[in-house]
Order: sequence, then structure tokens, then C-alpha cells
Amino acid sequence: MSTTIEPESEKHALGQRMKRKEDPRFLQGRGRYLDDITLPGMLYLALVHSPYPHAKIVKIDKAAALAVDGVVAVLTGEDLAAHGLAWIPTFHGYDKQMVLCVGKALYQYQEVAGVIATSREAALDGAELVDVEYEPLDPVIDPFQAREDKTILRDDRENKTNHIYHWEVGKRAETDAALAAADVKINERVTFQRCHPAPLEPCGIVADMNGATGRLTLYLTSQAPHAHRTVVSLVTGIPEDKIHVVSPDIGGGFGNKVPVYPGYVVAAAASVVLGVPVKWVETRTENLTCTGFARDYHMDVEIGATKDGRVTALKVTTVADHGAFDTAADPTKYPAGLFGIVTGSYDFATAFTELDAYFTNKAPGGIAYRCSFRVTEASFAIERGMEMLARKLGLDPAELRLKNFVRKEQFPYPSPLGFVYDSGDYHTTLRKALDLIGYDDLRKEQAEKRARGELMGIGISTFTEAVGAGPSKHFDIMGIKMFDSAEIRVHPTGSAILRAGTKSQGQGHETTWAQIAAEELGLDPQNIIVEEGDTDTAPYGLGTYASRSTPTAGAAIAMASRKIRERARKIAAHLLEAAEDDVEWADYKFRVKGVPENAVTMQEVAFAAYTNPAPNTEPGLEATFYYDPPNLTFPYGAYVAVVDVDRETGFVKVRRFLAIDDCGTVINPMVVEGQIHGGLTEGFAIAFMQEIRYDESGNNLNTNFTEYLVPTSLETPRWETASTVTPSPHHPIGAKGVGESPNVGSPAAFVNAVMDALAPLGVTHLDMPLTREKVWRACREAATA
Amino acid sequence: MNLEYGGRERIDADRDTVWAFVNDPAKIAGCMPDVLESHVVDEHTFDAVVQVAVGPVRGKFKFHVVLVPQPGGEHMDLKISGGGFGSVVDLNAGADVSVQDGATVLDWKGVAAMRGPLAAVGGRVIDAQAKRVITTTFANVKTQLGATALDTA
Repeated sequence: MSTTIEPESEKHALGQRMKRKEDPRFLQGRGRYLDDITLPGMLYLALVHSPYPHAKIVKIDKAAALAVDGVVAVLTGEDLAAHGLAWIPTFHGYDKQMVLCVGKALYQYQEVAGVIATSREAALDGAELVDVEYEPLDPVIDPFQAREDKTILRDDRENKTNHIYHWEVGKRAETDAALAAADVKINERVTFQRCHPAPLEPCGIVADMNGATGRLTLYLTSQAPHAHRTVVSLVTGIPEDKIHVVSPDIGGGFGNKVPVYPGYVVAAAASVVLGVPVKWVETRTENLTCTGFARDYHMDVEIGATKDGRVTALKVTTVADHGAFDTAADPTKYPAGLFGIVTGSYDFATAFTELDAYFTNKAPGGIAYRCSFRVTEASFAIERGMEMLARKLGLDPAELRLKNFVRKEQFPYPSPLGFVYDSGDYHTTLRKALDLIGYDDLRKEQAEKRARGELMGIGISTFTEAVGAGPSKHFDIMGIKMFDSAEIRVHPTGSAILRAGTKSQGQGHETTWAQIAAEELGLDPQNIIVEEGDTDTAPYGLGTYASRSTPTAGAAIAMASRKIRERARKIAAHLLEAAEDDVEWADYKFRVKGVPENAVTMQEVAFAAYTNPAPNTEPGLEATFYYDPPNLTFPYGAYVAVVDVDRETGFVKVRRFLAIDDCGTVINPMVVEGQIHGGLTEGFAIAFMQEIRYDESGNNLNTNFTEYLVPTSLETPRWETASTVTPSPHHPIGAKGVGESPNVGSPAAFVNAVMDALAPLGVTHLDMPLTREKVWRACREAATA
Repeated sequence: MNLEYGGRERIDADRDTVWAFVNDPAKIAGCMPDVLESHVVDEHTFDAVVQVAVGPVRGKFKFHVVLVPQPGGEHMDLKISGGGFGSVVDLNAGADVSVQDGATVLDWKGVAAMRGPLAAVGGRVIDAQAKRVITTTFANVKTQLGATALDTA
């Protein structure tokens, strides 16, 4: 039996809690994901992975694999080298990455060979029989060990060092002097562990080279289809018009589906050579072990302050572990992403931060996992630092924050590390959070519990993000400027099609994009169909990640709508028999100034655009807009976590979690709440469960969902959400972007709460994840100290 | 992941009999549990296909086993390398052979290095399986030699 879910019909939809237009097809199992695509004559790719984290490839024997019934071909790095595809450039262009191992394997599970067969099973059977002879080498797993350069991992590079780059921003000498003069200082190493986005749908491709047309169609789990098309063209030399990228429905991306992975390249190369479609869909283990990880930052945080709690200086020194290749998906000029947001919501007189990145024998990555390019690491560092400073000063952490926030009247606020924050009212947002959570009562309860020896903690995180890359004068990826785009065509009967350069992976663009256009054009959002992900039809854009879609494409939609409105005004004047200057757009209609009853709707104008166009005007009603934002946007929030810790078991119960987010103008509160619920659940998992660990031999110890835990509804706390609204002054509708805020802001709130609970035991810091064992050991060591 | 094992086995058979037994690849192969097939390559070497079931890692692993008797007949080294399904196991072991109280005693120790999915299963799970393999192997040796174990570490 099938059920039809009737959509709600709501006009003028900005700010409305409209149900997501895409959900009926997802709820009824009618989404079309990558693995749903099957083409005639399609072959399957399976990859062979290195069990060694560091080894010479002595010999690869394909014979046994080729003897498997159904196996068509076995490809190695040498085969790809013959076609100039042994290496591909990384996203920001500072490094290159092996597609299949050439000479050496540099991390465990690195792709060594690809087996093409007539079925997935035959490909896997063949992969098992590819006989690779390795000569194991000593691995380097620790970035601090890599820093010593005793073993050089990348002998393909001109510079014989494991050091990738040094990056710094701010005033070193001034900051050092201010720290030396500070009344009170904290200096603590804070590590943000290696974790993984782990989208429920892993990465995949169907590559289809059509010998008759000479076109290569790539069905791809891509967050950035146009960027991938351009990269494929640049790497292969295939003219861009001969490449068609289609990104179907995507089951979660979180930054994991931004980079180009070896499986994509091998499948595409195989399709070009064999002239038939080739599909590759990675396994869960391949996803966790090979594709882009996140974080792995080791940050030394120093904050100076006066005795009464005024912060004076911030210095953060970071060692970053990038794994075997520098495949971090950062804009070209920002090798450490937007880590300069590390001063957070606080008004530091001076600050300095520097970072050194190193190669290790671990999987490459450093992608922006639900994060605007290293903003999460920066937010965690400053929010942990402020918590530690509050404890050292003997101040309430809320009071310390209120004392040091950038004040409302300081916006636009130039930060000491080079950003200009667009808008904010941090005091109001935190005070609202404290009121809603009942902060004073919670502190009283905590005092009573501590008197009884019970461990209760309250953790605050008041983060500021920098999102929406970006202004093209600053931000590009491989030279492609980071603008975004929208194209809107209004049909004669007043419905419309809207195409954008972004690509939803669950964010709800089919709904929110329609709401923006509906608001601007006075149309019914249910009658605006949204298309993304097809490079043949969508205007060029840089895709969806880093909370950039609303700040860029959302703005482009508003601007394209306004272009249409300007054209429509001429038609409306024609219909109203009035001078164009006498026609105004008000209450979602064109009307004659001073005669409001003399009005026409956009639907009437649209019909006229095709049936009765104004004289000397172009028929039709459509517009395209490429939006280059003048600045980033700076969403922020105030999060409060309340926990009870069982010292006998190490179990942390998150009793309450309140998230107040300020993302500027809200397009759809229900979609925003959904984003926040999802991001908080990911933040919860990072804080308490998740880490990609390697043992001393370079074994990845978290290769599937029995070892890399994803919280279910049983573990997930109940989330309380609310908002304040401080519009961005430079965005056409005042929106800022929110998808990543909960993942950025929540880990520090959780950890601060647990450290607050453990404060009576003298515990000042534990690195994530705060597993039961880790918390229990900390309690036990404190008890025996 | 590296795991270290060791033990002491007392076998009620004379030293020459034990030494000849542990130098015979066919006999050693016959004592290992879960061997699906084995092939003696030369007088000190054999290949074996072993059914492995350690947590989620299940399937046929191929191993190459080399016996390395040291001159003098008092020490035997053993190297096992192989794997399957993306996992690799390298075991290097050595045994001192001596006579005590009329019995032959093997003092042995070994280090097993595991890589790939097998290493991610977890030390405690692997440890239990490894001890089962060791115990079964020596039990079979003793059965074939009509011997009795005194202790196993």
C-alpha cells in the first residue's frame, strides 16, 4: 500500500515551519542514491588495501585474480602511471596524492590495486587474490615523532622532511609580552582527537564513458559537483564539456564527500579504458579507514588575564597530523582553514596563533567535518581555555564570559587575528541561555550535591563561527573562486524551477531554497521545484560544505529573485497601465502607488510574460545570479550542558543540554532545529565515544561501527533548543548559516561540564572522547592520590 | 599490534624423538588446529590454509611456515607469515629443547604481529583464540608422541 503525503501549501514562507518537501520521497524509500544506479553492461570495482602502514611494494601478481570467473581487469599504480594518473593534486594544490600505491604504501588500508569484474562478488573475490609482496618499513604514527624527521615518509617530495607547512597569524612579540605581563595565565595542551564524519551512506561512483558521444558521465556522491567536474578536466585533460557530473540523493556528507578519492579515479579510468560503466561503492571499513578524517589537532592554549578576569592575550600553538598526504580540504590561501577564529567571542587586545603540519603513516584528510575549515578545533581550544581560566581565577565561567564578550556596539568587530565579525549580541544570547536553563538554581543544586560527595557539572560553550566562504578575493579552491549561484525560471502559470550550485546532503535545500524564492517572488513554495547536483543544468557553484550554502547560494537565490522582480515590474506596469516608477512591490504584489487595490500578482505577471509581454521587452521570466559575498558570516551560540558523573563506573549522564543559536534570519525554524539536533548528536558522539585510534604498529583500531560508535536514540540526550536573531548586515536576507554550529559548539560544552563535575577531584583536563573508562580512571586516580 | 606468548612444555619422550618430530613439517602441520589443507614445500617449509574465526574476521587464511633448526639440536626457530581478507600475521617463535628428569622440555616464546582488520578486533579476543591454537597444537603434539603436559603459560 502506498501513502501519499500531501504537502502543505504556504505562501510567503520565510520563517515558516514548513515541512520538508523532500521528505515524502525519503520516507517512502523513493530517494535515488548512488547505489540505486545500475546501468546496462555495468562492471564493478573492488579495491585491494595495504595491511601495512608503511611498506615498499616489492611485487604485485595479478594472475590469480585475473583467473577468477568474471574478473575483467586488475589495475595497479603502474598501470595508472602509464596514463598519467598515478598521482592527483590535492584540493588546495600544496601536495599530491597517490591514486594507487606507487612504490610504497604510506598508511594502512591505502589503495594498492583495483579489480574490475562483472559482479561485485567477483570483484571482491579477485581483490582477495591479488598477491602483493610487501617489504614492511617502520611506521611513524605520532606527529611529534614525525617532527623529528628521523624517518622521512615522503621521499617523492623535493623537501626531505615530514614538515608540510608552517602557518601563523597575529602579533607574536606583542602577545608574548602581554602573556608575560599577565596577572594570571593558563597554559594547557588540548587535543582534538582524530574523528570521522562517518556518513550513513559511504562514498561511491558510477563512471560511464560513452564511446559514441565521447562524454564521461560521473554519478558521484559529491558535495561539490562542479568543482569535481573541473578537477577531473584539469587532471585528465578531458574537455570540461565532455564531463557530466550528477550527484544524486546523498545520505549525509559532513565534509566527507568533498575530496576526490582513489576509488573515483580508478572507476573513471576503468570506464574510459573499457568503454563500459564501472561502479564503485565503498564499504564501511573503507569509509572509516581511507576517506577524509577530521581534526587531529594538538593545541597548546595560553591565555593571559588580569586578576579581576579581563583577558589580555591569547596564544595557541598547534601541531597538526595530516596523515600520509596533505589532502585537507581548505581554501588555497588558508592551509589551516579559518583557525584564526580562535579568539572566539572574546575581545582580546592581542593574539597570536601558529601551526605546523606533519606527515604521518596514517590516512590522509583533515576535512571540514560539519565545520567551516578548522573552526571546530579553534572553538574547542578557546572554550576549554576560558573554562580553565575561570577555574584558575575562581570566577564563575558564565561571569568570565560575560565580562570578556565582544560588546554589541563593537560590531562590525575587527578581531586581532584578521576577521571582521559581521554582527552579534553575545551578552543577550548567553543571558537567555542562563535564564532558560535555570543556571543559578543548577549551581545551588551542584553545591548541595558536592557537599554530599556527588559529582555534578555544568558546562558552557559560547562559540563564534566564521562561515560562508567566501569572498572570492580571499577564498578559492584550486584557483576556483568560492562564489555560488542560482538560476530561477518562472513558468507561465506561476510555478517555478530553481537551480543552484550547491548540493543538499540532507540539509533540506529543496524546502529552504524554495522558501527564499517564494518570499522574494510572492509564489507558493510548494510550486517551486529545486534542482541541484547536475552540472549540465545547474549554474556553476562550489557546492555545500562549511555552512556556506545559505550565505552564498541562499543569497544568490534572493538576488536572482530580485532580478526577476525588476523585470516583472515592467510587465506589471504594462498590465496596470501605469508608469514603471509608479509601480511598487508590496504585500507580495505589484500595485500602483497610492492605489493599493490596483494590483497584480506575480502569477499574473508570469502569465503575461509569456502571453502578453510588455512592448520592447524580452519575453519570459527568469534570471541567474552569481553571488560573491562581501564577507564571511559569523553565527554564534550559547550552549549549556548539565551532567552527573558516577565516580564508581565513569558513566556520564547528560541530564540537560540547551542550545541557543543565533544564525541571523531563520528561513525555516523546523529545518534549523533539525540541523541542530543532528549536529548536537554528532558533537555528543565526538565528546564521549568517537576516535580513530592507531596502535603503535600503525593499525587502525576503529574500522567499523562496532568500534567507531554512532549514538542511537538510547544514548542520545534530549536536546533543548532556542534562538536569538541578529541578522547579518551584508547578507540579502540577513541569514548566516547554521548547519555546523552544533557540532562546532557542543564538544566544549560537554567536556566543560564533565571537568566541572570532576573539579572537586582536582581533575583539570581530559582529552576526548570521555569514555567511561577514561572518566573512571580519572576518578580512581584522584581517589588514590 | 604485537602480542607476546611463551610457555614450557614437558613431553614424555626422548629428546631425539621430539627433535625429529618438530623438524618434520608434515607432522607439525598435522598438529595445528583448523588446518583445511597443507602442502609441504621442502624439508623445513610448508604452506597451510587455515580456517580463521576471530570476532568478525572469518575466512580462510594462507600461511607460510618455515622451521629453522639451529645447529646442535638444542634450539628451533619458527617463522609463520600469512593472512587473508586484508589481515597479515607474522609470528616469530623460538624453542629451546632440553632434557630434564628424563623428559624432553620445550621452553618457547614468540611474538605475533598482526595488521589489518584482525588487529582491530581487540587484544583480548585475539588472545583467547591464540591461546586456544597454542594449547591445541601442543596437545596434539603430545597426543602424537604419547606425552603429558605439565604446564602452559
